[in-house]
Amino acid sequence: MLPFQIERIYLDEKAETDWVSQTILKALPEVPVERIGDKRILIKQSHPVPDPIGTGKKNLLITHFYGRRLKPCPGTSRHICCGYYVINPITNCPMDCSYCVLQGYLNNPFLTLYSNWDDLLQEVESFLAIGRPPLSRLGTGELSDSLALESIFPISQFLVPFFAKKNAILELKTKSTEVEHLLSLDHRGRTVVSWSLNPPQVIEEEERGTASLEERIDAAKRCQEAGYPLGFHFDPMIDHEGWEKGYEGLINFLFSRIDPKRVVWISLGGFRYPAQLKGIAEERFPKTRIFLGELFPGGDGKFRYFKTIRVEMYRKMVKWLKQVSPDLFVYLCMESQEVWKEVFGWSPQNSQQLNQLFEERVREFLRRI
Amino acid sequence: MNAIQKILLDQIDLSDETFSVNFMPDLQSLRSSIEKIGLIQPVLLRKKKNDYQIVCGFRRIWVLKELGVFEIPAMVFEEKGPSDLELFVLSLQENLTTRGFNAVEKAIALQKLIHRFQLEHSEGVKTYLHLFSLEPNEKILNTYLSLAEMEDETKRFVLKAEVSRSNIRLLAQMSSEDRMALLPFLSLLKLGENRLREMFTLLSEISRRERISIKGVIDRPDIQGILSQKELTPIQRTERVKRVLMNLRHPKMKQMEEEFDRKRKAFNLPAGVSVHHPPYFEGKGLKMEFQFESTEEYRTILSYLSQLADKEEFKELIQDPKSEARNSKFETISNDQISNVPNKKV
Repeated sequence: MLPFQIERIYLDEKAETDWVSQTILKALPEVPVERIGDKRILIKQSHPVPDPIGTGKKNLLITHFYGRRLKPCPGTSRHICCGYYVINPITNCPMDCSYCVLQGYLNNPFLTLYSNWDDLLQEVESFLAIGRPPLSRLGTGELSDSLALESIFPISQFLVPFFAKKNAILELKTKSTEVEHLLSLDHRGRTVVSWSLNPPQVIEEEERGTASLEERIDAAKRCQEAGYPLGFHFDPMIDHEGWEKGYEGLINFLFSRIDPKRVVWISLGGFRYPAQLKGIAEERFPKTRIFLGELFPGGDGKFRYFKTIRVEMYRKMVKWLKQVSPDLFVYLCMESQEVWKEVFGWSPQNSQQLNQLFEERVREFLRRI
Repeated sequence: MNAIQKILLDQIDLSDETFSVNFMPDLQSLRSSIEKIGLIQPVLLRKKKNDYQIVCGFRRIWVLKELGVFEIPAMVFEEKGPSDLELFVLSLQENLTTRGFNAVEKAIALQKLIHRFQLEHSEGVKTYLHLFSLEPNEKILNTYLSLAEMEDETKRFVLKAEVSRSNIRLLAQMSSEDRMALLPFLSLLKLGENRLREMFTLLSEISRRERISIKGVIDRPDIQGILSQKELTPIQRTERVKRVLMNLRHPKMKQMEEEFDRKRKAFNLPAGVSVHHPPYFEGKGLKMEFQFESTEEYRTILSYLSQLADKEEFKELIQDPKSEARNSKFETISNDQISNVPNKKV
């Protein structure tokens, strides 16, 4: 189920005969289709739209993309990053989180799916063929929710078997329950299905169009039963009234249903945002309270919670997680060495070292399961 | 419409403001012009059952009435002539050629088009915003519609202080009670466009964080104390109020600043030497600056600084790890916990 009804499909002539396009048109037979000759003209004509982000959730553009769709995760300067790679088959997201950074980056009112799928798989194939570190991690959740369009085009059906034959890891990161297509696939442990989690109050107030906490954990449980390695991302953590109770309760609830031995990694990341996001998000979500925290610009220009707040949140999260199982692999997303040291008592020397720790972790995890 | 006729002022209904968008009109120059050379252009009226309705020329009629004139040249529309909307648009066009509109008058005009004459927002954006030299954008229409809803006192402030559209939007998010509390507060400060935005943002965010009204923030004794100090200039008052608001908005930051100041004062820096923490305490290390005017002064400062390294308070200030371990505010993570965080031994 899509969180927003697709109201119109814009089909690029170049994409018309692609099997991806045909699959989508079959899945949405009642949605009007407009054929377009040049997507640049369509995008130009679409301006100005009062709320391009909101409008973009209802307009599906199917087109081709000829540039690179596989890139290193942009990370952030002066911070430790995990050496992740992102694959972008879709831009824009049908979900609508108040804190989503895409609001500040996307400038056209379309949910865009690139249907030259074979080119993408070829790009991934070439990338992995040229001596990448074993068990490199790639994920589709940067510019959209990985599973959000499963009901109209089950991307997982193509990506999961593809990665099952590779010495690399695919991460499907989601806030949805769209796991039905995954359950019967032969994944060979090469796909990690992961969920972004927040306490129910935050989900209700700030994550419009996403599944509830309970639904997400139920979906994770189904994937666990299907043998998938699981990941969880407490990111963005929101400093709100009662956050300790909220996040501790969330961890306890999660691990009352999920076996910690099936969890390959867990990330923690405090809410952070580029300067331009605040104005846009406050206009789209006048009731949001996420910008009322004590957030200040850092060396990379992004606003983050005051360091003492972040460190306190991370330390408590680590404590609660380690109480569940001391073997959980917990890392910080886009944080400085200094914060790592204050939270864990040590820090990776650099992003490369964190990447190596991931490799060891995944290898050990795959051996064990 | 008939030819120009003379109409008795007593026959004109001055209370009917269907077609008026006037707000704080400046009648002085019009008055002196009429006194000198009389009325050049006839007003536009519409015939009603027993009297006349003003379509265009409210100001001229007010001035003539003030001057004790009994009749006025007018062009008169018949009652069953053009629609209200057609006459309103005619009145807007006529005014545009003679005087233009201030921000509040634009707001009133747009409000009448949308609410009184029932135009769709999209029609308002497409057809009418450009009349007032505004970009065709729904956000802009909504900004003016919200201004039209505000109290007259706030509208006067918007005109007097030439408040920008982005600040009007911030005002629109406040309750009427808050806006009314804000006006006397703002009158005591010195605020340009950016400072005004900063002040609105601080007040609004503190109000939402603390779940109290903006009036409640302004009425705090510390803020009222600053406002009542008559010896302060508006710029000084503004700076002090802003400092109080910043501290309310960022209490943890304030706590850290105070702690830092307390530690810094403990080692009595000589005059001309200052120590600074990293911006927002993000990152480690301190920046030290010193200023001297003679070699003697330079030597004294260096001698002091070399002894500083042995002081515990100084080590604490630079967050020396050895010192920090003893002073950590947070609960300590046990070795067991650390050793399992990403499978790494410390």
